Amino acid sequence: MEALTSQLEALLADNSIFTLQTLGYYGEGLVTTVQLVFLSLVIGLVAAVPLAIGRGSRHRWINLPIFLYCYVFRGTPLLVQLYLIYYGVVFIEGIQDTWLWAILEKPFVPALIAFTLNTAAYTTEIFRGAIKATPRGEIEAARAYGMSHRLMLRRIVLPSAFRRALPAYGNEVIFMLHASAIASVVTIMDLTGAARFVYARFYAPFDAFLFVAAIYLCLTFTVLFLFRYLERRLLAHLRPAGG
Amino acid sequence: MAETPIPLEVRNITKRFGDTDVLKGLSLEARKGDVITLIGASGSGKSTFLRCMNLLEQPDAGELFVHGEAIRFKETKHGREPADWNQVVRMRARLSMVFQNFNLWAHMTLLENIIEAPVHVLGKPKKEAIEQAHSLLERVGLTERANAYPAQMSGGQQQRGAIARALAMDPDVMLFDEPTSALDPELVGDVLRVMRGLADEGRTMILVTHEMAFARDVSSEVIYLHQGVIEESGPPKAVFDNPRSERLKQFLAPKH
Amino acid sequence: MINLHGYGPRLLEGALITVELAVLSLALAIVLGLITASAKMSRSRTAHAIGTLYTTIIRGVPDLVLMMLLFFGGQIGINAITDQFYAHFGWDIFINVNEFVAGVATIGLIFGAYMGETFRGAFLAVENGQIEAGRAYGMGPWLVFRRIRFPQMMRHAIPGLSNNWMVLLKTTALVSVIGLSDMVRVAAEASKATREPFTFMLIVAAVYLLIASVSEWAFARLQKRYDVGFEEVK
Repeated sequence: MEALTSQLEALLADNSIFTLQTLGYYGEGLVTTVQLVFLSLVIGLVAAVPLAIGRGSRHRWINLPIFLYCYVFRGTPLLVQLYLIYYGVVFIEGIQDTWLWAILEKPFVPALIAFTLNTAAYTTEIFRGAIKATPRGEIEAARAYGMSHRLMLRRIVLPSAFRRALPAYGNEVIFMLHASAIASVVTIMDLTGAARFVYARFYAPFDAFLFVAAIYLCLTFTVLFLFRYLERRLLAHLRPAGG
Repeated sequence: MAETPIPLEVRNITKRFGDTDVLKGLSLEARKGDVITLIGASGSGKSTFLRCMNLLEQPDAGELFVHGEAIRFKETKHGREPADWNQVVRMRARLSMVFQNFNLWAHMTLLENIIEAPVHVLGKPKKEAIEQAHSLLERVGLTERANAYPAQMSGGQQQRGAIARALAMDPDVMLFDEPTSALDPELVGDVLRVMRGLADEGRTMILVTHEMAFARDVSSEVIYLHQGVIEESGPPKAVFDNPRSERLKQFLAPKH
Repeated sequence: MINLHGYGPRLLEGALITVELAVLSLALAIVLGLITASAKMSRSRTAHAIGTLYTTIIRGVPDLVLMMLLFFGGQIGINAITDQFYAHFGWDIFINVNEFVAGVATIGLIFGAYMGETFRGAFLAVENGQIEAGRAYGMGPWLVFRRIRFPQMMRHAIPGLSNNWMVLLKTTALVSVIGLSDMVRVAAEASKATREPFTFMLIVAAVYLLIASVSEWAFARLQKRYDVGFEEVK
């Protein structure tokens, strides 16, 4: 480990910008970005399943609020949502005196809430589309075998809808990864935050931003390949046999 | 391209698709007023031959003359191509093609289809083109359908419309690529009637068809293609009544 | 009545900037998209490679990073060029990279890549026979493009175009980060100054939803126009 560090140090010796210290900023930024994106995606995904089912409900007071939620969060910029939640939380009367302030004081939690609400809205629509696209025959077969609505949803509709939703959900993951760059606007030191810091310190926009662009490109390709692998495994049954 | 008695001549056309020789050195001469019919089994190369005549397919070798003017070619890394596309554009404007699937432009009404090329390619005044289009529509029996879109017309109407579109170019030679093959049997008659009228008035036509009775009636020359070679050709009487080649005899024999 | 604390006029100006920015970026994106689609469908390997590189990089990097690269980097790049002019010819030029131009350039560049994919798919969806008929009637490539390919392609492109526009509209919010006073920036300033984020952010959200709804209606009309002739007989 020490040998590696000294080697790296030698390599960086004649480079005034990419010192071990700035690389450390980028490293921490990478961790923050991945945490933020991963957490919001997981929570958003879990929330989106019941929301998607509710969105297809016949009861107006279930499907209408969900529709409005999706419409608003998909129709407005994430930045506006982030500002709304970030400033909204800060300016709540008396919040600074409660125990909540310890968590909300840092911008990470408001950002996480905004990102989660945003991705949940998009994911709900993706799942709803996938559920609606369930072949009629599969539903009729389930009914014919005496399955209850719940059982049918759990055993037939959802498993096949998840698979169909995979390509669109892959796009959503990449979208969230890229959208997370705006976390830097509310002073979070994510990848973009690190790049802005390095830019401001050295006034070297090309070095700072091209480097971070390359990291995002690698992350994007990782996600892309991961989803392609998943699609190959999980969607094998939809491909024509043979060949 | 001056007026000459030979509006279109092709010599030694060859064409390969991958490893298959589709056309193996075909020649044809269309004199003014000729009606030349290409017959043959599917896959014999007759449609490809026709499409080489207006360079929708690029022949690998061979020569084309429009009114005696040779089309110039050059070798590129993608194969042989015309050296001067402007020359090809000029040539195509004198040869109208009628397609098997009509290919009327879907986003235009029938009238717009007919005036499109005369106005934008030949530079005809719009008013004049519209007048001409109406008289052509009357001729093919579609006066009422001038403002219909192709999707709103039957196949037979579309094909008659497509013939009107071809006539609007006042072409020297008309190329017909299986004009009745995509039609329901009861619609074929109207289209053939229009084509017969054209032959009777002395239009130069080259057609690919499976309608043997029609070919026999209107053709001045019939060419039988087999695997990219002209197996037999001559006046319709000779070809249909006294076929010399065994293959042609089999081809003409009534199917069970 | 809602109390805007005097921010009303500035908010309105900001909304106008948002709309101008979005429309100009869209125009640039359409031009770049058409060029990219042609490059990707061209027989030239180089053109194809450049088109692919462009779309891959743009789609792999966050909008905000590209915007900062172009805005902050663009100024330094242009300074370097004008310095050369001064050194060689003695011309003293100073070009300031304006936030608005940088915004239009970046958003246009980003969405040009997405439009390229939309247009490519739409061009490929045009039936070959339609194009062949044009060629057979003596139309040159430009005439075929203008009279047949483009109008028929648009029918297939509108859903993608509409979708890209909706995303583009929301992306314009990012220019507030590089200092352009669009409505998001004005609202953010107002929120901090008045401590009433809900008032201002909700107004901005409503304006975005309004623009989106109006555009949805406009795209539906456009689709109807380009669908002419394609509906089947009843």
